[in-house]
Amino acid sequence: MKHARISHCILLASVCLMTGTAFAAEPEDIIKYRQNVMKSQAAHLAATAAIIQGKVDYKNQLGDHVKALQATTKDIPSLFPKGSDFGETKALDAVWSKSADFQKLAKDTQQKADALAKVVAAGDSKNYGARFKDVADSCKACHKDYRKEEK
Amino acid sequence: MHFVLLAGLLFAAPLAVAAGVSSSDPPVKQGEYVYRAAGCYGCHTDEKHAGKPLAGGHALATPFGTFYTPNITPDPETGIGRWSEQDFIRALREGLSPAGDNYYPSFPYPSYTKLTDQDLHALWAYLKTQPPVKQANRKHELKWFARARSFVGSWKSLYFTPGVYKPDATKSATWNRGAYLAEAAAHCGECHTPRTALGGIQSGMHYAGTREGPDDSVVPNITPDKKTGIGRWRARELAEYLETGLTPDGDSAGDLMAEVIDNGLKYLRKEDLAAIAEYVLSLSPVEHTVRKAKKPVKKEEFE
Repeated sequence: MKHARISHCILLASVCLMTGTAFAAEPEDIIKYRQNVMKSQAAHLAATAAIIQGKVDYKNQLGDHVKALQATTKDIPSLFPKGSDFGETKALDAVWSKSADFQKLAKDTQQKADALAKVVAAGDSKNYGARFKDVADSCKACHKDYRKEEK
Repeated sequence: MHFVLLAGLLFAAPLAVAAGVSSSDPPVKQGEYVYRAAGCYGCHTDEKHAGKPLAGGHALATPFGTFYTPNITPDPETGIGRWSEQDFIRALREGLSPAGDNYYPSFPYPSYTKLTDQDLHALWAYLKTQPPVKQANRKHELKWFARARSFVGSWKSLYFTPGVYKPDATKSATWNRGAYLAEAAAHCGECHTPRTALGGIQSGMHYAGTREGPDDSVVPNITPDKKTGIGRWRARELAEYLETGLTPDGDSAGDLMAEVIDNGLKYLRKEDLAAIAEYVLSLSPVEHTVRKAKKPVKKEEFE
């Protein structure tokens, strides 16, 4: 009974908040979303690698994977809003405390993904390997300073 | 008996050049390769605070307290500029300072002791060519029980066996090469093998990962166990990972391992990375989960 009353209050408060201010997602949901976007990038990166290295023969799908990478790396900092540093996340505090450097690295990833998409679109296959490596290096550069190995 | 002896000699011959680039390279060049393989730069440089290369001051948080790595540039006042080559070799092989004091094993001499004379000589030659930096060493901040010097003495008598890597005559030359690189130079086990409460290597848990890695990190199980280790990785994928930091799933190395790759492993020759992969994937699989199980989020907690 007491629980129900508290729930009602929270519900009411939530409704007030939602109507009065912009929609605010739960940090847990943002973290989960961020991790899913990152996982999708990893999956497209691995798929791209397999095609470029000739492990599999899906050349006709290479463009799809690099376009997906390009799209999902367009605005990485947006995945890290203030307040999404608490919970089941491996993101280090530095993401927010050294925000300028973090954004620079995120921008680099975006540019490297763009460059990869460009050579793939142009069918410039002799540069696939180098541009791919640039993207992978860029991911690692950011994970080195801003992602903790699981706690 | 003769066969074993002969085989030993055969394997000893290629291993005499150990981690050096090649026996015909000048020592400084060989030394640079050993330096990369051994990952000296990463720990001896305070990259996070834009520290000068090899000038030390890099903090390593451990269950025993925080260690600050020393300056190993050739500066005579604050670095190792006054050391002799014998001092240097004794430090790496026996864990002793020129004054005869025990080093804490946060300096991974239990691994470096396995480096060959030739590699130690080459590494010394290379370090001497590095620019000297004047930067005084910072004192370790240790917990009370780790502060006594006798602590390290007891530790050494329990856990430290000095001596050069001994090739396994029953294994291939590439396997031995990989074992030498992983065990003596790259010192994988220093982080990837769990330790006892006293900080010794846990027997039977070689490379099985730990939740108590440096800086509170979780260090993954890299034995070829299919469920909890990297048993599903192929040798080629592991070699690629050691070069690029990209896992077979497209994830990338982060944190300490990214540093190890960026400053060291990616400079190694492909055949050496393949040898390390061959060795690591040949180890006994150990089922050992280090990652925390995901806790289901209880709704009530938010009400």
